[in-house]
Amino acid sequence: MAYTGVTPSARSRGMVREARHLLFTVAPGATWIVIFLVLPSAYLMAVAFMSNGPYGLPEMPLSLESFRRLAGFGFLGWSPGNLYTLLRSLWQTVVSTGLVVVIAYPIAYYISTCRARWRPIMLLLVVVPSWTNQVIRTFGWMNLLAPATPLSELAEALGLINANMGLYPSNFAVTLGLVYNFLPFMVLPLYAAFEKLDAAQVEAAQDLFASPVRAFRHAVFPQTLPGLLAGIVLVAIPAFGMYVIPELLGGGKGMMLGNLVANQFAGGANWPLGAAGAILMLIATFIGLFAMRRIGKRLGGGEEVVI
Amino acid sequence: MRKRTLKRSLAGFWWFTLAFLYLPLAVVVLFSFNASNSAATFTGISLRWYGRLMGNEEILSAFANSMILAITSSVIALGIGCLIGYGMYRHRHRKLGWLIVLIYLPIVLPDIVFGISEMAFFVQIHRLTGLLQPGLVTMIIAHVTFQIPFVALIVYSRFVGLDPTLFEAAKDLYASPVKRVVHFMLPTIKPALISAFFLSFTLSVDDFVISFFTAGPESATLPIYIWGAIKKGVSPEINAIATLMIGAVAIAAIISLVFSRRRQA
Repeated sequence: MAYTGVTPSARSRGMVREARHLLFTVAPGATWIVIFLVLPSAYLMAVAFMSNGPYGLPEMPLSLESFRRLAGFGFLGWSPGNLYTLLRSLWQTVVSTGLVVVIAYPIAYYISTCRARWRPIMLLLVVVPSWTNQVIRTFGWMNLLAPATPLSELAEALGLINANMGLYPSNFAVTLGLVYNFLPFMVLPLYAAFEKLDAAQVEAAQDLFASPVRAFRHAVFPQTLPGLLAGIVLVAIPAFGMYVIPELLGGGKGMMLGNLVANQFAGGANWPLGAAGAILMLIATFIGLFAMRRIGKRLGGGEEVVI
Repeated sequence: MRKRTLKRSLAGFWWFTLAFLYLPLAVVVLFSFNASNSAATFTGISLRWYGRLMGNEEILSAFANSMILAITSSVIALGIGCLIGYGMYRHRHRKLGWLIVLIYLPIVLPDIVFGISEMAFFVQIHRLTGLLQPGLVTMIIAHVTFQIPFVALIVYSRFVGLDPTLFEAAKDLYASPVKRVVHFMLPTIKPALISAFFLSFTLSVDDFVISFFTAGPESATLPIYIWGAIKKGVSPEINAIATLMIGAVAIAAIISLVFSRRRQA
């Protein structure tokens, strides 16, 4: 007991002081986040259950109309447009995350095998492009993939696209943009995992004549799993809600959920519908976070995966 | 033997990936010096697009807005985040789960949900009270909201890394809490404060989506201006302004490299 010899009143005074200290330090920030983020998100969720007014603004009475609209039911019956958008978002997220993993694994491994003095520079080289604004990076790809550029002409010559089409706007351009955008977010956690890798386990596997594939599966993969899961969270969740890349590189047929949501708030469209889309995105986010934690706990043995 | 080929193909893959990462930026830089206004063919070197920038009032005001937004929001977030970071450290033995959830919320919320929530909220507040008209003020509020968690976490981890007995020593040395803050706490966490400020600044300059949805008609930042220019039809001026921004990032990268070198030495 640290307080022996102190009268109960002094002790409770100390506790009051500690509580006041907690209040003074934490209250400004906590209040700020509650007022400017928790309340607005709560309001947005409420909007999803309201009706659409004449100027796209939410109105009473409460209704589930916006969720019906989101599922594709409109004045003219059911149309698959929104469903396609949703499936496209899922598909783009899965494909781009998969590609990012495939590229990031060898890169992170290679950096970890280089000389210690080069590693910080190599990591910096991977990260620096992501310091430039997302709009500029995506604009760079627009320049590269436009019709009559070398890359587009190469694709044309190989018969991959029709003449004068250019590689953008297209779903391919969106995938490329997503991979480009998120690669550093996968390389960093994977590199951190490789740096801590116990090389003895890998050598033991090699000594026991394990094939490279088996050595990877049993010695390397489990050790880098926490990094991989952290990377997937950092890549897949923002990719699912991406707005800029599909808007610039995708065109009308490359729209993702983020664009569907945003369009409902621009130029007097339909706030409740947009809010319903946002709820869907939040649900996906929390399912993703939860699933990664569960997978991490099951596969990582006792090791806590910090997300 | 097999090991050598593996290492060599990995090195090849590394250079290929680097080319992939820098190609789009290189194209922007290259075409900013293009003599013609074609986005596909390079016809010769010229500085005319940079010349046009200088006379463009919109770009200059967008640049000023970007700077005002980044600096103001970073300063506010530094103050508030620093307090939370210290509170989290001092009271780390209490159950502060709700606070952790609150602090991680701005980080895990998808940008687009963050942006439209704020926008919808500000629009309704403005309709009801006339306050918070969309503009620089609403943008600053939104930016501070996503910067606070990063500042708090950086400051918190700096405190955790300190020897706890230092706090006892400071208590013995300085009677007044104010003196303790000025002479002990602030100097000790100075590195954390500096890196928190620069991270906040970078996050603010890097952000597009949240700014886009909370901006008013007069408060366009550089990324919002560029977005508008792209949407209107690609103009070669965008390459020039984008190149200047890439140049700023390159300088920042070199500075951070020099600093990390010096810390190692």
